[in-house]
Amino acid sequence: MVFAVSEASIARDALGVGLRAPHVAYVIERSPAVDYFEVISENFMGPAFAPAARLDAVRAKYPVVIHGVGLNLLGHAPLDERYLDDLCRLADRVDAPFVTDHLCWTGAHGASHHDLLPLPYTPDLVELAAERAAYVQRRVGRPFGVENLSSYVSFHRSTMTEWDFYAAVVREAGCWFMLDVNNVYVSSRNHGFDPSAYLDAIDFSRVLQVHIAGHSKEIDGTIVDTHDHAVDDAVWALYADAWRRGGPFPTLLEWDAKIPTMPELLREVAKAREVRA
Amino acid sequence: MSDREPPPWLEDFQRRFGEVLRAPLDRSTGTLRAVTDGYDPSTVSEVRDAARASATERLAVYNRQYWFRLLDVMNASYALTSRLLSAWRFNEHAAAFLHARPPTTWDIDRAPDGFDDFIAAVNDLPPWVADAARLDATWRRLLHAPAVKPYRPTAEDAPRLLSSRLVPSPASAVFEERWRLFESKLSLQRGGYDAAIDAPTAMEPPRWWALLREPGGVRHFALARGEGELLRLMASLPVGEALAVMEEGCSDEEREALPERARRWLAQSVERGMWSGLEADQRSTQV
Repeated sequence: MVFAVSEASIARDALGVGLRAPHVAYVIERSPAVDYFEVISENFMGPAFAPAARLDAVRAKYPVVIHGVGLNLLGHAPLDERYLDDLCRLADRVDAPFVTDHLCWTGAHGASHHDLLPLPYTPDLVELAAERAAYVQRRVGRPFGVENLSSYVSFHRSTMTEWDFYAAVVREAGCWFMLDVNNVYVSSRNHGFDPSAYLDAIDFSRVLQVHIAGHSKEIDGTIVDTHDHAVDDAVWALYADAWRRGGPFPTLLEWDAKIPTMPELLREVAKAREVRA
Repeated sequence: MSDREPPPWLEDFQRRFGEVLRAPLDRSTGTLRAVTDGYDPSTVSEVRDAARASATERLAVYNRQYWFRLLDVMNASYALTSRLLSAWRFNEHAAAFLHARPPTTWDIDRAPDGFDDFIAAVNDLPPWVADAARLDATWRRLLHAPAVKPYRPTAEDAPRLLSSRLVPSPASAVFEERWRLFESKLSLQRGGYDAAIDAPTAMEPPRWWALLREPGGVRHFALARGEGELLRLMASLPVGEALAVMEEGCSDEEREALPERARRWLAQSVERGMWSGLEADQRSTQV
């Protein structure tokens, strides 16, 4: 079964913003000019009344795509079917044009670590990731994109580059890239690789969405994916490179800490138009 | 479902990495510091050194992130308790709780579940701490409650009312304020974590509150003492039994006024939507 991206709800060059709690009332009352919103799946998957009601109010005005942080695609244990049931219900509720989560693990041995954790990149893990990603895509019944991580460690066990691993998973699963160019930049600085080599591996006809975000620098030089700053100039340059190679693609700004006002967020994401002009 | 078995190394890798993540942070220097000496050497040896940081320093990024993310959630969930104790002291107990009960679900907002019972069992804390945590926990429960239709009595309910139990709505609560905490909680809700709050003093007699989650947030109503006691009893006992318990503790004067007051309190609680149904007393049907 082929899961194609429909342009009926989100244009290929659309600009979106990750919807966070401080802005929900503003969005419902003021209807700011933005093409679409992305919500964190787990914030809306419980039975709580208030978040669901607010999500419905946002959805009445905008397309909404959903982005998860808790799928645990590469945990050693099987995928959580109850989590997937909730995810499917949410995707149906907002009629999400697509669903995305991360190419990582988030928990093991019954514990949930609530972080997006890296793994060694090996061919045997490609097979597992691809089979599971294909399963999730069938289960949600709409295009499913896997996002590349920002990471702070790499492993001797890896026999593939991250970008070869990522591309192989998407190709074998028949799913999509949820390409985060800030994450490419962060990992390139932390591990000393050329970010343009990463983009070389991406089949842009399979890019569902591109994320942009800010990051921070630790005292020891480690770049951390904090989502608490404006997008760095170097990330904008990488975004422009990606656009030249494979645009148009929907572009979404994530900002999760020290969150500015919605008008400021809109000004930040609008820079994408200048950068790619 | 995907049938493919994970690579044989994956489970052990994730077990060892998980232990690094959950390694307790050191508080002895006045900041929360990763203790990299304690990391499993076999895990460290799997990580490549980076140009500007060692393998342990890079693993410490994840170790700190694990704790800071969860402590943020704990502080937000138990904002009143944290504010009254100070974040530093609160974090000591929150970290002990998380160490004893690591999160098990994908929903990070569930990680603080049960902390009110945990901290209530800690010795050597001020006596108001347990009540502050209970108030924070009550607020959380209401905010996470699903939408339910409020109970509206029908004519058929009247003959079985006394022998039946009213089912509390998950979006409602009755809170007994034994320490002056309620205004502080409201102040934090209105003004955020930096709002000015007072140190709690004992309430004598206690005040009672009804709390109801509504679309705009949590609404509160002051209750008469007897009203609060009755609503609490009715949450666990059939209506008739709850009234009998109340009556037992009344003075002669109160006993005379009780039927009329109880009718009024009950009607008001139904009107406010504090119940979600009326059910037969389960105890009478158990063999």
